[in-house]
Amino acid sequence: MLRVKAGDVDRMGLLFERYHRKLFGFLYHMLGQAEASEDLVQTVFYRMLKYRHTFTGDGEFRTWMYHLARNVLADHVKKNRHSVRHSDVADYAEKIGGGVGADEQLQREQEVATLHSALAKLSAENREVLVLSRFQELKYEEIARVMNTTEGAVKVRVHRAMNELKTIYLRIEN
Amino acid sequence: MNCDHIKEQLTEYLNHQLPDAERFALEAHVAKCPGCQEELESMQQMWQTLGSVPVPEPSENLRPEFYAMLASYKETMPTALATPLGGFFGWLQSLMLPQSAVRLAYGLSLLAVGLVGGYWLNNKKTAATPEQQQLATLTTQVEQMRQVMLLSLIKNPSASERLRAVSYTKEISGPNDRVIEALLSTLNHDDNVNVRLATLEALAELADEPKVRMGLVQSLPQQESPLVQSALADVMVQLQEKRSVQPLRRLLKQPDLNQTVKDKIKESIKTLSTGQPAAPSTSNDYDETFLSPQPDRSAGAIV
Ligand SMILES: [Zn+2]
Repeated sequence: MLRVKAGDVDRMGLLFERYHRKLFGFLYHMLGQAEASEDLVQTVFYRMLKYRHTFTGDGEFRTWMYHLARNVLADHVKKNRHSVRHSDVADYAEKIGGGVGADEQLQREQEVATLHSALAKLSAENREVLVLSRFQELKYEEIARVMNTTEGAVKVRVHRAMNELKTIYLRIEN
Repeated sequence: MNCDHIKEQLTEYLNHQLPDAERFALEAHVAKCPGCQEELESMQQMWQTLGSVPVPEPSENLRPEFYAMLASYKETMPTALATPLGGFFGWLQSLMLPQSAVRLAYGLSLLAVGLVGGYWLNNKKTAATPEQQQLATLTTQVEQMRQVMLLSLIKNPSASERLRAVSYTKEISGPNDRVIEALLSTLNHDDNVNVRLATLEALAELADEPKVRMGLVQSLPQQESPLVQSALADVMVQLQEKRSVQPLRRLLKQPDLNQTVKDKIKESIKTLSTGQPAAPSTSNDYDETFLSPQPDRSAGAIV
């Protein structure tokens, strides 16, 4: 009996090793706070254990993982409505900002920082699809499954997200 | 094909999600349309820059916390759920086919379970009797896992990994023969002096085992580094290991022996032969072994 249990633990450990960085990345982009994101990684893995019977293996594992992550995130945001802010990102962008144009490397860093800060200012629903698509490298079809929506709706939203991002970016830059 | 439609497809295009036919049409249009080309370029730049947006690494706490959560979940799990479930774990099983991946994860989880186990043990010392059974089982498992870790890491090409492997010795209460053999082999054959020294230190703590003592004595003629030679001589004195006198004398005859080492060995032989206790050590590491000194009469017999 113990051996069976230990086997399951090993397998859950493998999933953790394989996916926790990506999951952390998603949560970090959504929250902007590294520490809170780590807590939520734990919560997501805990829910995976608890609700593992709901995963049938029909869908891909990561789709299920992001689906759970969205729910965990929604709960977190509900609970911390007033404290959710992109503090880490804002600090970072401020440090880099106000740069010297001459240095190409610095200019590049500044661009990245500005974009990072623009991403943090994106509406949560647009940021979500963009992060899933650009950073988590999910296909539109997978994002649709994560969000219980259609591929067409995802397509439209990613496009809108890019436009919104561009608008915010230009606003910060000028 | 109008420009608005093209612009709507740009993100999909950058995302490599556009089907071939539409992709060719878009590329053909952009080639002829400066407006759409400009839009594509700015979108493309933004898309690429996004890729450079940094994501911090999760902290070092995340992994141990996860495995602690997993262990405590396992403890509270109803027994009925402990049997493998069809859906999820069945699917996992099929996912885990590559053996190397399984081994990697196994190794990692062994390490983590070891950490968690240690944590758990420290916190459950006052546990009630029914838990003591589980405690014993867990202790055994953790021990076995550490031994497996040690045995695999000690063959690692990286010296720091091998040092890590050696450091696990401290956490194993009853190392098995394979571990002892691996440590002795490292002591005698490792290219790295630091690894040899660390291994010597680890083995000295296991000197209650006759096999380890013998191995240490036999290791004397195999060492060439002055550092290891004198450290080994120190250990022999601290263990009051009379059987080392002969190999130490032989070592003295080596023509290229370092002078400091020569002095140290002479001193060691003297201490061992006269049966005087070793000079007080700065560390208490060897106190345990002092409790069972070799009988004095053996000295005369061997010397
Ligand atoms: Zn056009």
